[in-house]
Amino acid sequence: MQRNGPIALAFHILVVTFVLAPLVIICLVAFTPENTLTLPTTGISLRWFKAVFAHPDFVTSFWNSIWLATISATLSVALAVPAALAISRYSFPGRDFLNALFLSPLIIPHLVLGVAFLRLFALIGVGGSFAWLVATHIIVVTPYVLRLVLAALSGLDRSAEQAARTLGAGEWTTFRRITAPMILPGITGGWLLAFINSFDELTMSIFVTSPATVTLPVRMYMYATESIDPMMAAVSALMIALTAVAMLVLDRTFGLDRILVGQR
Amino acid sequence: MAFLNLEQVSKDFGPVTAVCNVSLGIEKGEFVSLLGPSGCGKTTTLQMIAGLVEPSGGRISLDGRDITYEKPNRRGLGVVFQSYALFPHMTVAENVAFGLEMRRVPRSERNERVREALSLVQLASFADRYPRQLSGGQRQRVAIARALVISPPVLLLDEPLSNLDAKLREEMQFELRRIQRKVGTTTIMVTHDQAEALSISDRVVVMEAGRMTQVDAPYRLYEQPSNAFISSFVGKTNLLAGKWRRNGASAYVEIKGISLEAPIADLSDAAPVMLSIRPEKILLREPGAGRLDGRVTNRFFLGSQWLFTIETVAGTMTVAIPNQGGDPPLEGSAVGLDWTLTNLRVIPDTANL
Repeated sequence: MQRNGPIALAFHILVVTFVLAPLVIICLVAFTPENTLTLPTTGISLRWFKAVFAHPDFVTSFWNSIWLATISATLSVALAVPAALAISRYSFPGRDFLNALFLSPLIIPHLVLGVAFLRLFALIGVGGSFAWLVATHIIVVTPYVLRLVLAALSGLDRSAEQAARTLGAGEWTTFRRITAPMILPGITGGWLLAFINSFDELTMSIFVTSPATVTLPVRMYMYATESIDPMMAAVSALMIALTAVAMLVLDRTFGLDRILVGQR
Repeated sequence: MAFLNLEQVSKDFGPVTAVCNVSLGIEKGEFVSLLGPSGCGKTTTLQMIAGLVEPSGGRISLDGRDITYEKPNRRGLGVVFQSYALFPHMTVAENVAFGLEMRRVPRSERNERVREALSLVQLASFADRYPRQLSGGQRQRVAIARALVISPPVLLLDEPLSNLDAKLREEMQFELRRIQRKVGTTTIMVTHDQAEALSISDRVVVMEAGRMTQVDAPYRLYEQPSNAFISSFVGKTNLLAGKWRRNGASAYVEIKGISLEAPIADLSDAAPVMLSIRPEKILLREPGAGRLDGRVTNRFFLGSQWLFTIETVAGTMTVAIPNQGGDPPLEGSAVGLDWTLTNLRVIPDTANL
């Protein structure tokens, strides 16, 4: 076990403080009984939480976001796993191009993507459809999944697959019984990152959502441009709680180190 | 035709030839080792037999059936990998059962055969552990059980002992031989360790730079190495470079101005040769009483034997004398070196042709 010096320790404390402080403050502000974002508050109240659930828009948008993130993350896994297998194992013409293409959404600003998709959808007349919203999110989150699955594949001992082959397993059975379970931490981690990124995406979604498909971040943004009140803090606090619970469940079932670092 | 037959098998990786025209017949029940330094093509040869690498040329047949281009899952051979290649997400029993599951063996028979295989490698009580909970030697035995449980016609072992420490390696050598004798499976083992190859094989195939250079029983390989590389790679030897001379019915070799009597060989007069003699084949005599005089520069006590470094006119020689309890010559003393003529090997020196 490596011991940290006092400077490193101070640095760690500062980082953790800067990361956590805004979250803590948001959560505290959410419980204010007053009409403005104030701290310290005069008491504790669930008034603003009740207000959230009194807005059906927010509830609908929340479910929109959950569905959008779940479907995008799942489909991008279905896309990225075969792509990662092809890129890491075979050399074929256009392999580097394919790799770059899959990663390119990472370097294109979401603002640009949003405008481009808005124009494209208007052109082909599919603006506002949920399916096309999913498509845009898949494009944005796939690089994360691909990176993690590629990393998992590069650390994989190919001889286990060869052993399965010599024991009589065909290629598909080998993938299903040996390769997939061995890269499962990479796949789960990729899915998780994809889900979070999709759930959180605002810049591009502003352009490509329609009134029927407004996601939670877009809903919050629209609300906040009109009025700033502690209900935003309450929504944020709920999202933080939801993420924390999800992480806790994942950690208990798989172990977060294993998923995100890829080691047991 | 032999049980497993390789005919003119070759493998090129781009411009590099890894294996070149290997022809080898292996009989049923035989234990054959492929021995050579790293990069000699022995593992590639094994992988071609296993079906993991496709040959660039030649033909491989098993029991009369051409398997050259057959998929590895159709060959039914047992393979033990250097890294053991256990499935980390399955228990020991699940690992061993995998091959039977692929063959759709009913559950009750499967369980029975897994139990038998695990008791063969003395791991019956470890069935429910995961590979990461086992030691190196135990993992190795699981890998052997997994390969043997499918009753393969041929067992292929890729450097099976190289990841074990010295003491365990020695134990596992005997263990491997015991299991192989008991099951009677035709076995091919790849190794770079000559002691390992000599101690457990029926026959040893020496490979150099992609080619087979000698195929022989271990003791014959040791006593009659066919070239200078093998004589120094298999066991220790003294190599003296000189010129071979025929003298009627006898022959001698000129080394740095002196002449040593040599066995008759099928060589032209004045051919460059290497004289090879094993350290344990040399006897120490009084100075002048042997075939060659020298001076002891070092002596090492190894328990069961003494090892001498002796400086002679012909070059530095290593001599091993069994420890008989007496006090052997001291460092600096003059000695005579003697040997039986038949223990002296004359090897054409191809490097100096």
